[in-house]
Amino acid sequence: MGTFLVKRLLFSLVTLFAVLTLVFLVVRIVPGDPAQIILGDQADATAIAALRTRLGLDRSLPEQYFGFLAGALRGDWGVSLVTGRPVIQEIVAVLPWTLELTFVSMILGTAIGVPLGVWAAVNRNRMPDYFTRLTSLLGLSFPPFVSAILLLIVFSLILNWFPVISGNRSTPWAWFQSITLPALNLGLIMAAYITRVTRSALLEVMQEDYVRTARAKGVPWNVIVWRHALRNALIPVVTVVGLYLGILIGNSVLTEIVFNRPGLGKLIIGALNQRDYTMLQGMMVIYTLIVVVVNVLTDLAYAFVDPRVKLS
Amino acid sequence: MRVTWMAGAALAALMSASPVLAQKTTLVVGMQTQDAGVLDPHINSGTPGKALMNWMFNGLVRIKPGQFSPDQIEPDIAQSWTSSPDGKEWTFKLRQGVQCHHDGGEFTADDAVFSLKRASTKDSSAFSSDYSAFDKVEAVDKYTIKITLKQAIPSLLGQVMNYHGGNMVCKKAAEALGKDGFGKKPAGTGPFMFAEYVPQQYVKLVANPKYFRGEPKLKEIIYRFIPSDASRDLALQAGEIDMMIGRQEQAWVERTNKTPGLKVLTFGPAEMSVVHLNMMQPPLDNLKVRQAVAHAISREGIWQFRGQNISRQAVSVVPSGYLGTNETAALLPHDIAKAKALLAEAGHPNGITIKAIHTTLPGMMSFIEAVQAQLKRAGITLDITPVEHPTFHQQIRQDLSQLTHFQAARFPIADVYLTQFFHSRSIVKTPTAVTNFSHCKVADAEIDAARNERDAAKQIALWKAAQDKIIAEVCAVPVNEMLMNWAIRDSLDLGYELKGSLNLGPPVTEMTRFTK
Repeated sequence: MGTFLVKRLLFSLVTLFAVLTLVFLVVRIVPGDPAQIILGDQADATAIAALRTRLGLDRSLPEQYFGFLAGALRGDWGVSLVTGRPVIQEIVAVLPWTLELTFVSMILGTAIGVPLGVWAAVNRNRMPDYFTRLTSLLGLSFPPFVSAILLLIVFSLILNWFPVISGNRSTPWAWFQSITLPALNLGLIMAAYITRVTRSALLEVMQEDYVRTARAKGVPWNVIVWRHALRNALIPVVTVVGLYLGILIGNSVLTEIVFNRPGLGKLIIGALNQRDYTMLQGMMVIYTLIVVVVNVLTDLAYAFVDPRVKLS
Repeated sequence: MRVTWMAGAALAALMSASPVLAQKTTLVVGMQTQDAGVLDPHINSGTPGKALMNWMFNGLVRIKPGQFSPDQIEPDIAQSWTSSPDGKEWTFKLRQGVQCHHDGGEFTADDAVFSLKRASTKDSSAFSSDYSAFDKVEAVDKYTIKITLKQAIPSLLGQVMNYHGGNMVCKKAAEALGKDGFGKKPAGTGPFMFAEYVPQQYVKLVANPKYFRGEPKLKEIIYRFIPSDASRDLALQAGEIDMMIGRQEQAWVERTNKTPGLKVLTFGPAEMSVVHLNMMQPPLDNLKVRQAVAHAISREGIWQFRGQNISRQAVSVVPSGYLGTNETAALLPHDIAKAKALLAEAGHPNGITIKAIHTTLPGMMSFIEAVQAQLKRAGITLDITPVEHPTFHQQIRQDLSQLTHFQAARFPIADVYLTQFFHSRSIVKTPTAVTNFSHCKVADAEIDAARNERDAAKQIALWKAAQDKIIAEVCAVPVNEMLMNWAIRDSLDLGYELKGSLNLGPPVTEMTRFTK
């Protein structure tokens, strides 16, 4: 286990370094001048050149790159080109919002998806199965920004149960009201994935000899399904949950914008539109870190759900 | 009978139990942005910041709330002003007793001098180049300042009004907080004071009880950042916001106006859509080809396409309503046959192809597609390369587009539009470049002469002559003007009639209030 973790962390460092380099280059290859954007369309060429100098954008690429790497190693990610505030401070201010949304959505998606998948599998080719397959297909087909608008129209505008502007944590009730619709929006789509994976994994496991043996021994059906079969079917489900966490963070960009929640998504869209290089770099590091950590946790979870898996 | 009696009793009980509804005193505004950025009026040049600055800061002078024409200028912090006959020396007498926010003390000549010097310094201002004609700014006494110019400029008052660098900041707060700190906790003298900034969510302003025009009727303003158009609409309909920036779409205006309790305010300054023709590149280096392009575009057709209530036809190469606009300029009429004949005369009987780099912004994209369809009828193929908006801004400044569609509003004096778009100093890819995409230089003499002209009538005549020359040379084809649209709750009384706002959002003044 220890060796596994050390190896994974070393690999993660290499990944992180590669991402840092790639992001540094990509944001500069994309056309669009941050100085021009900051100063607006009435700025003359002299003012733009002066700002480029002040922001250090007139330095050669290697010079900027090594400066950036040295800063990153010291934990200094620079200041936003647009707001002048430290990048780390801006990210830390909104990161909890995105993490909170992602984890609540994940829990919701798993809590809905796994039982539905089990229900479909044990009722294979009967009404519950058809119903689950159809609804999960719908869930997969819906772009998150469309479902977000539909949820807002139904639950905020018509029923008036939840606010349109979801960024309030002043009281537990306000928090609950704020998180419900965005988490449902992301969680339902995730549930659709998990339902289908759980169903197919469980169907496969249900064909195994030990399930037949258990049934022959007279073990109650519920115990066979939930204790024996499901546990063995969980490995692909854990993989999907782990992989989907990355997608969730990506989908949260649109969800945060439509539900008007603070978060990394809003920050990255703003940074992209304004070509805020330093902010984009900092955010990419955060995104990479999250994906790396989730991957390590997924690997650890394999050993937890299936003791036959050896981490080495 | 029994039912009626019970209903009556219930109603009476309800009426006696419900308190008198308190009048709403918090205004919640929805703005199309992820964040407002730096809250420093001398740095924040974006649309999302301008309206907000306007509610916190005063200028020495201001344009009357609800107007945008410079002939509507009135005193603000300054109560009077005079200028020398040559227009190089300006003296402003300040009001006494104007108070800086957060108990920052009285605003005096020292503050005004500090503010103007700050606005003209590159390190602390994005508008420093607007003040290049300033030679000296000095305090004559506690309530008098004198500005000395290197040369006379078309509108000195425009540089000291509550717009961009003319917003007056309080010296004590600006010095104590430093440039970065001031952008997080700005202090001016306006009707509303900064109270709180929550990243990506909102800025909260509270009423300034010591405002020199009287304490505002509203108690606070929550300025929410809501980038999604659909979410802003839903929030307005759900009653979570009271006022919001709208879309430049006729269908949106009609839909919102039909929603009970809401109304749309349409106001200037309009952003003019102009098609700039690169006169250095064939086939547009030929005047007949440029004339053919102008004849092929129907201003009326585009006006009907973009929406008759939210747009209007262009009248000249300077937007209508600006000081010095030739409102009856001789723009070439829509005439397909003439366009084809001119192309044939120019040696292109089978038509031509023009390349255009264009932004993917939906509103601008639909415009250029309509123009593309009109040009096609005259045998002109417009080959559009759509690129993302920041890329568009970079590439058109690199002179990479034969035809450039630019939509912009400027300070409403002809000089600004003419200088930035049609003076040779502003030609793209030169050291002094601004936004002259056509390489036009036919009216340099008139534009420069008008800048130094002290006689108002002669100055206007020079600006009109410049426009006539630019139109005759077809450096650009002005097509259409798009107005600003904001939706508000109809119980919100702004306190004035809104015809225009230089800060691109309705001014919220001490008189603004909810009627219920």
